[in-house]
Amino acid sequence: MKPPRHPWLLTATALVITAAFLLPVYWMAKTSLTPPDRILAPTPQWVPAPVTGENYSTALGYQGLTRALVNSLVISSGVVALTLLLGVPLAYALARVRMRGSGAMVLALLVAQLPPAIVLAAPLFILERRAGLDDTYAGLIAADTTLTLPFTVIVLRPVLLSVPPELEEAALVDGCGLPGVLLRVVLPLMVPGLVAAAGLSFLLGWGEFLFGLTLAEGPDVQPVTVLLNAFIGQHGTAWGALMATATLISIPVVCVFALFQRFIVGGLTAGSVRG
Amino acid sequence: MRPRSGTQPSAHRRRAGYLFCLPGTAFLALFLAYPLFYNAWTSVHDVKLGQLLGGGGPFNGLDNYRVVVDDPAFWHSVRLSLVFTLGSLAFQFTIGFALALLFARPFPLNGLLRSLLLVAWLLPPVVSGTLFRWLLDAESGAYNALLRAVGPDSLSHDWLTDPSTALAGVVLANIWVGVPFNMLLLLVGLHTIDPELHEAAAIDGAGPWQRFRRITLPLMRPVSVTVLLLGLIYTFKVFDIVFVMTGGGPVDATRVLSLYVYEVFFKFFRFGQGAAAGLLLLVVPLLTGVIYVRRLRREEAAGGAV
Repeated sequence: MKPPRHPWLLTATALVITAAFLLPVYWMAKTSLTPPDRILAPTPQWVPAPVTGENYSTALGYQGLTRALVNSLVISSGVVALTLLLGVPLAYALARVRMRGSGAMVLALLVAQLPPAIVLAAPLFILERRAGLDDTYAGLIAADTTLTLPFTVIVLRPVLLSVPPELEEAALVDGCGLPGVLLRVVLPLMVPGLVAAAGLSFLLGWGEFLFGLTLAEGPDVQPVTVLLNAFIGQHGTAWGALMATATLISIPVVCVFALFQRFIVGGLTAGSVRG
Repeated sequence: MRPRSGTQPSAHRRRAGYLFCLPGTAFLALFLAYPLFYNAWTSVHDVKLGQLLGGGGPFNGLDNYRVVVDDPAFWHSVRLSLVFTLGSLAFQFTIGFALALLFARPFPLNGLLRSLLLVAWLLPPVVSGTLFRWLLDAESGAYNALLRAVGPDSLSHDWLTDPSTALAGVVLANIWVGVPFNMLLLLVGLHTIDPELHEAAAIDGAGPWQRFRRITLPLMRPVSVTVLLLGLIYTFKVFDIVFVMTGGGPVDATRVLSLYVYEVFFKFFRFGQGAAAGLLLLVVPLLTGVIYVRRLRREEAAGGAV
């Protein structure tokens, strides 16, 4: 498309739309910094005055918030580790090795993304309880990984297909075994794909709610998303503290995205559109 | 060069390949395939709370399905899910398309603003739900304040506790969450359109609207169908946003199918019926998925990217 005559006019339009679209996020941050007695004013203020950290100290004073934040961190890191550990070799084999059933496997991975989480949460609730996995980090990490693993393999496979096989053949000729080839030749070439897969798995693990709600009974392993929901019921009108908690949950998301933005957007479109 | 190298037997390589597949496949079999299979098993058994750890109740054929299908609340949920899904899709797609058209043009800060928009999609759904609960709050919600500012006070409304507007409220939140994803995928599609087509049409005297209708729209059809199919799959399963915003209420005004399944299973502990309802919930994503995969196959065969 030829360059528009007034590019800054387009920028202004896009700026206004983006600002309007992100108004809810601003409102969350704004509320979290507004003194509690001013939050419920009939005409809301656009800028918090005076800015206060009171809502944050209230939120962090709630029993269990720190614990829940740690739980979410443990769970989402575990999800990233398990997803990559299982996903990378699987994606590699599916992209590179002629095997019977690899076509069926790719198809199965596509289909694996279809079931609603609730259809999985229900049987997992029974099965994990029987296996003693409910109310453990491992149980939650495993449950979340059922969502990230198929997606990851589907994102990584095209990345691997784009690595020229000649490189691997050369390494094989030099006497590397298949694991050696994967570690020394292929992995370094697929860093962008790995970062995308890791970032998306983290975001999914961090934001996951339903498995946390159904597979974690107590506060020991409950993720912060479940705690936030519990807050709404208990402290229904304590909007300041609620928005402070919501902001705290959002900060890692924004950080991860800001850091790995390019990879994540690339992986996202590759995974969804190409299948 | 070592002698064995060039002749590395492919059988050896294949064995290594199977070995590579083993952990991931075993995991998915254990934590994904087996639970889904077990769900199907539960759906034809009379499983009650007492038998949870024991190994299940007696086989009862299609009784659970019969109970679910005879439940008016189930059909009410089906209708709500359809309205929720179609309402969300229509707006997500249209707004996403408009934004994609804007961001397809080069201008300063394009990349930055586009990324900022994505934040709405990346926020945990629980956060978005909480956020919109606050925005739509009766007294001090920002949207009501905005409405009061532009019109009479009567415009202000307790959206989420009024059964006639609660569904619109959760749809609004879901549209907000879905727009960036639609925009992103449609933008990829727009970039694949050869700009020369537009230039040639412009030289022939076609205005922007004509070029949009005659060139952009037809060429965007395959991508659009893909985006809508994916959107249908994702939206039909939505649970978090609705659960956090309304919990299915007021009364049952927003109890979409996924919440219905949740309640039957985890609130009333009617495991057999919950499993049966869950499998019925699976029908729509599964059918959509089959259509999607078939399209994908066809396009791959044709060599097209999207």
